[in-house]
Amino acid sequence: MAEEIKQPRIGVFVCHCGTNIAGTIDVEAVKDYAATLPNVAVADHYQYMCSTPGQQMIQDAIKEHDLTGVVVAACTPRLHEPTFRTATKEGGLNPFRFEMANIRDQNSWVHMHDAEGATEKAKDAVRIAVAKASLLEDLYPKSVPVEHAAMVVGAGVGGIQAALDLANAGIKTYLIEKSPTVGGRMSQLDKTFPTLDCSQCILTPKMVDVGRHPNIELHTYTEVEAVDGYIGNFEITLRKKARGVMSQDEATAKGIVGGGCNGCGDCEAVCPVIKPNPFELGMAPRKAIYIYHPQVVPLVYTVDFDSCVKCGLCVEACGDKKAIDLEMEDTFETVKVGSVILATGYEIFPVEKKREWGYKQFDNVITSLEFERLICASGPTGGHLVRPSDGETPMKVAFLLCAGSRDNTGVGKPYCSRFCCMYSLKHAHQVMEKIPGCQPYIFYMDIRSFGKMYEEFYYRIQNEGAKFIRGRVANILEDPKTKNLHVYAEDTLLGRPVDIEVDMAVLAAAIQPAADTDHVRHLFGVSCSQDGWLLEAHPKLNPCGTTTAGIFLAGVCQGPKDIPDTVAQAEGAASAASIPIHMGKVDLEPYFAQCIEEKCAGCGMCVNQCPYSALDLIEKDGRTVMHVTEAKCKGCGTCGGFCPGGAIYMQHFTTPQIVAQIDAFLLGGEE
Amino acid sequence: MAKGYNDPAMEEKFQDRYFHATTETNPEFIKEIERLGRTHAHMCFQCGTCTGSCPSAPRSSYRIRKFMRRAVLGLEKEALTDPDLWLCTTCYSCADRCPRDIAPTDVIMAMRNLAFKEDIVPRNFLKTIQLIYKTGHGVPNNDANRAARLKLGLEAEPETTHKYPEFIPGIQKILDHYDMKETADRILSEGEQ
Repeated sequence: MAEEIKQPRIGVFVCHCGTNIAGTIDVEAVKDYAATLPNVAVADHYQYMCSTPGQQMIQDAIKEHDLTGVVVAACTPRLHEPTFRTATKEGGLNPFRFEMANIRDQNSWVHMHDAEGATEKAKDAVRIAVAKASLLEDLYPKSVPVEHAAMVVGAGVGGIQAALDLANAGIKTYLIEKSPTVGGRMSQLDKTFPTLDCSQCILTPKMVDVGRHPNIELHTYTEVEAVDGYIGNFEITLRKKARGVMSQDEATAKGIVGGGCNGCGDCEAVCPVIKPNPFELGMAPRKAIYIYHPQVVPLVYTVDFDSCVKCGLCVEACGDKKAIDLEMEDTFETVKVGSVILATGYEIFPVEKKREWGYKQFDNVITSLEFERLICASGPTGGHLVRPSDGETPMKVAFLLCAGSRDNTGVGKPYCSRFCCMYSLKHAHQVMEKIPGCQPYIFYMDIRSFGKMYEEFYYRIQNEGAKFIRGRVANILEDPKTKNLHVYAEDTLLGRPVDIEVDMAVLAAAIQPAADTDHVRHLFGVSCSQDGWLLEAHPKLNPCGTTTAGIFLAGVCQGPKDIPDTVAQAEGAASAASIPIHMGKVDLEPYFAQCIEEKCAGCGMCVNQCPYSALDLIEKDGRTVMHVTEAKCKGCGTCGGFCPGGAIYMQHFTTPQIVAQIDAFLLGGEE
Repeated sequence: MAKGYNDPAMEEKFQDRYFHATTETNPEFIKEIERLGRTHAHMCFQCGTCTGSCPSAPRSSYRIRKFMRRAVLGLEKEALTDPDLWLCTTCYSCADRCPRDIAPTDVIMAMRNLAFKEDIVPRNFLKTIQLIYKTGHGVPNNDANRAARLKLGLEAEPETTHKYPEFIPGIQKILDHYDMKETADRILSEGEQ
């Protein structure tokens, strides 16, 4: 702040962006106008300011005209601010003496049919930017050390893959899963398309790996309670839900030699309480002390305290292992990590809301996920596909695609759920393979078989005898005597309405973000898109990042995707999340609030306003004044706008700078 | 274009079948339908839920999806001259289930309005107009119905213009505003529609 007062000398550079800008805006006129503005030492224009010659123009002009500030009128700061800051720095100026005027996204693109108006608006934008650039100051980014650890929230296949990659890269990784076992949705599937390999067979090695990797600290039956801190230094509080059962490690730590759960299942055998197993979607029973399935990781039983009657039979059966504690309570633990990957997954859209298809009204209408459990050898029927109404083997099965997807009625989901076409083809294959003579009918609008070997898989299933009917199902009715179903649709290629009597109908239900997604995203300060999926930083160029530094996304929580895409994104997210950790430090943009101590009355009202807990009151020279922890400050300006004494100074967004911008706009450039 | 078959059936069978997308269509047709029908008909993606839901489709040649396609493409003449246009019962099942939230029934109603403007209306619809004009009912009461009503302990005439014929002039005033009776009389007197 105590800089030598020097008359500002600003360079203005107007970018054509090919025809993106110059096709609408008269860049020559904007350049000529800029040259007339106060403090402007040089004005120029160029076809692509972001190109090497464009950047060189900036560097040369800084030296030639002894500039104090640079304005580029081009695209958005999000796209090219880093580029031009670097050019400004290479020209010998502090990089924060650069200001950008957005004359493309907010101007030429939206006013494509009003060249004159757009040119005038561009002049306004340049004038405003010059006013600010005249008052810019040297600023220095602050670097903070990064904790050499990461967290992955959600242990489905995406979370598992991300955790393994991080751990294999030498990073201590906390893998957090709210249910009692890792595995997620993939462990509920029978086979995977298009290779038809057994889902569990390819997943369990990875499940086992995360369970025993020296760099992975696995926390199942655990939820994130609170998140504090910022990139490099997140402090995350975990709620370890009362499981009622100690692992062998936990027992050893408590001094119970040779104790803890070994997964023998003696407790389950004696438990008198029977409840539906959510892993089997309620189609199989479980006890109040349970594991989801034989391959769970970790192999530790869990007590469902909502249904446990605390009879104590399990404690007796467990005997000397002393693994069961029916009085166990939730415990909390805080861990410190440098970056976080969210992999919170999805759930099935409640397709009963589309009443015309009769789910939950007719016994033999099931969802595709229920079909997976019914066709799976480890499922409730041992892999024998049966009708829920009578246990008979179905010989005609209808598959309804887009059951709630591509639906703009407000009841379903407007997006494509992306993997239903492929798994429905797989289901058609499975019924034909397991039940000789069984005829699948696939009702579809479009078959989206876009992945590697997917179209070939479609060819194969058609060749195997599946019947494809190009029409969305209008409704399903049940024959009350036989419980058979009549599926009504139009065969749009034939141009005739169809009524097919089937034994069973499988709805390829839409998917939606997992129930807790909204809660989790608020904890981590991540945005979501209109349909609830977590929002990536850029849909093409930064699909794993978020707008919150240090938080990354993997898998379906970011939008529907199949297993290959989920694993690929998880590996991308792990790579991105490991960058700050391997660098060891991160630079924070110096948009910190600063306390002008002479003006500060020490009232402390700002401290409560700060959404990032970045402010404190301290004693200094016998007075109480506010103090900013710069690493926590995001430069949001809440405190600066609020301070009754005007004692808070927002770096890079100072009151004089903003007032100068407003004046420049309102006064039309007049002094 | 005649191909020189000396047989009208053969001429018909082997006529040019190309859909000439630029010359055969009227781009204003869809706009007019959306204006009259107040539904975003151009967003139809031809899934067939409408026809699958239609009570008329399994028992007639009526395919509402086909009319939606004609609307999207601007096939005005083909849509307005197809007698199937008048087979919709306006039950609105298609509108209830359309995943694109379009009301196909309202597209049909818009097309019927446009057809009426060009005097393309089936005779039975015109006779219905005459009956409404005369009695206030498209299907007026008759002796058999009166007897049935009396048997059920009801009055012979229902609580409509049948019982209160003084309201018929009001109905006539509405129909006259749209020249419906006049048009119906004129077309019917001209013989074939």
